[in-house]
Amino acid sequence: MSDGVRSGALRYVLQVLAYGAFAAVIAYFSTSPPYRLRGDNDALVKLSFSHSAQLVQACRERSEAELAKLAPNMRTKMDCPRQRADVLLELDMDDKPLYRIKTPPTGLRQDGAATVYRRLDIPAGRHVFRARLADGPDGIFHFAREVDLNLAPGQVLIVDFLTSEGGFVFIHG
Amino acid sequence: MPNLLRSLRTSDEYLTGALDSAFPAADNPWRHLGSLAFLCLVIAVVTGTVAFALYDTSVAGAYESGRRLQLDPWMLGRLLRGLHRYASDGFMLLSLLHLVREAARGHYGGVRWFSWISGVPLLWLLWIAGLTGFWLLWDARALFSVTATAEWLQVLPIASDVLARNFLTANALNDRFFSLIVFMHIGIPLFLLAGVWIHVQRVSHVRIWPPRALTVGTVAVFSVMALVVPAESLGPADSGHIAATLSLDWFYLFIHPLVDLVSAQGAWLLALAGTLLLCVLPFVPGLQGLRAAQSASLPAIVDLNNCNGCSRCVADCPFGAVVMVPRTDQLHHRQQAAVITDLCAACGICVGSCPSSTPFRRIEDIVSGIELPDAPVADLRRQLQQKLAALTGPMKIMVFSCRQASDWRAFADASTAVLPLECAGMLPPSFVEYATRLGADGVVIAGCRECDCEFRLGDRWVQDRLSGAREPRLRAAAPRDRIAVVWAGSQRQLLTETIDGLRFRLKSGMRLPDSQTINAQDAPLHEPHDD
Repeated sequence: MSDGVRSGALRYVLQVLAYGAFAAVIAYFSTSPPYRLRGDNDALVKLSFSHSAQLVQACRERSEAELAKLAPNMRTKMDCPRQRADVLLELDMDDKPLYRIKTPPTGLRQDGAATVYRRLDIPAGRHVFRARLADGPDGIFHFAREVDLNLAPGQVLIVDFLTSEGGFVFIHG
Repeated sequence: MPNLLRSLRTSDEYLTGALDSAFPAADNPWRHLGSLAFLCLVIAVVTGTVAFALYDTSVAGAYESGRRLQLDPWMLGRLLRGLHRYASDGFMLLSLLHLVREAARGHYGGVRWFSWISGVPLLWLLWIAGLTGFWLLWDARALFSVTATAEWLQVLPIASDVLARNFLTANALNDRFFSLIVFMHIGIPLFLLAGVWIHVQRVSHVRIWPPRALTVGTVAVFSVMALVVPAESLGPADSGHIAATLSLDWFYLFIHPLVDLVSAQGAWLLALAGTLLLCVLPFVPGLQGLRAAQSASLPAIVDLNNCNGCSRCVADCPFGAVVMVPRTDQLHHRQQAAVITDLCAACGICVGSCPSSTPFRRIEDIVSGIELPDAPVADLRRQLQQKLAALTGPMKIMVFSCRQASDWRAFADASTAVLPLECAGMLPPSFVEYATRLGADGVVIAGCRECDCEFRLGDRWVQDRLSGAREPRLRAAAPRDRIAVVWAGSQRQLLTETIDGLRFRLKSGMRLPDSQTINAQDAPLHEPHDD
């Protein structure tokens, strides 16, 4: 075999190696290394709601003097402040606090819904969850619900608050 | 930062050299990272178009349509999905390597700032396009990624409601989500294509496609990967269950582990800081490229008395900095060259192309039709005469060396004169013949590594001019067997060997066959690389 042929063959081998290295990098990083999302024996609680709390102040009727001070096109009889109360939420697991939050309403005038979204890793197994929510200016928990659930590893428990459903909803797959 | 760039440049030269031993220089993939990335984009667009025809844009059908492709008995679906996926991954990888290589070579400042800056948004576009592609499959990975992305976006003040609530339960999602994502996944690559067009606007003779051998090789590699390591969906999206570990495509989904590591705000900060750094890099004092010291900096100027409007400078300029405009003097030529100074890299390639840049002209102070004010042709001729006259040793060699390549001063001795040029392409071929007439026994033209010309096209034009394929040509009567061309770059040893080899050849009276004259290396003519 001449030197030319040998060097040509060597070049092809090196090219195959170069293409192989390129393919190996892409093939490996397109799936690996695997990313750990949770502990082997963990379940997940997703606590989320979007809830419009009560108004901080109730509507009231304006007096004649107050109406006179307003521009003619603004003279509506009822004065309804738009600001809503903060929402207080407490989630306990097995009689221990799992999550506490006081969340203000959204919006420049604080008249939007209060929103929460949290992911909470918990050990899998049987747990008693108790959720309470206060959405008025008095801070009293008007909504509460307690459930006893057995969560398998990897199971997701969604804790939502839907007024249309009458309060807390616990969804588990 | 300068040290980092220098280390990168050393690594780049090492890698280029290593791959040169596997591939012909003109087909070295390391020199075609940009065009290879574009090839990947095209493969992804073509395969994506076919896949879209088979895709079901509904919550219930999205996952199944992907699975159907995967299970196609003729493996065509597997090939299609694999090509689409691996080409997309290749697009990201090659684009990043392209960016790093151009940074290492200092190709972000000067006249290249526009190409550099216009490339930055392309990185964002290609990442978003790729990310949304994973969501369309609507498997466990898609649900994780879309939820994690919603959580990441949530820290921006863009939505009053919680974005991630849209993916909280299976019922929370409707078919319009997939229509929206399809719209993004198709629309963004269209912006990418337009962005690539803008990206290459300020370079001429741009080669958007890689060489044929590389195209075939790359498609073959992706095809083999698609069949051997199929790109598969994971299990269907299930909002009631989360896997302990997930197989991620790190080219696009790296953002989710990053957010977990540094927080959502931290990831935004890193992303914005990185983008800002890339955008300001061309304008940081002291970091505006790594051109050799004492390089010319003033843009070329046209001398109308010597410009006959032949337009060779326009054809040869690597950055489109010279244009033809209607004649403004009363001479009978229809057009004249004009330099767009903002685009001029002061490489002098236009000087090398000008027919009036010949040293054989009889007048004392010759002026070319187009000149570098820092290195006028008259000066070059004067230096050539003085340097050759000063040689005292036997077997005199004249070296025309590109400033951007070797340290040219190291090669001058009693028998060797070195004339530095901004670029080897600045050398009019007539200067080679002129040197031999003035007593040089041999002439060496040295430049950057082959296909790695700092000014993109200098080596190509030198080869073409010397071989007679391009104007201005080296005259047929010129002593070709006394000329050696070497694309040594910073390889001093190679340049020394070339000079010594030419001297030995001239001493021994050895004549090379025609095919081996002029080129010191076995260097075929090549197409420009992609920077």
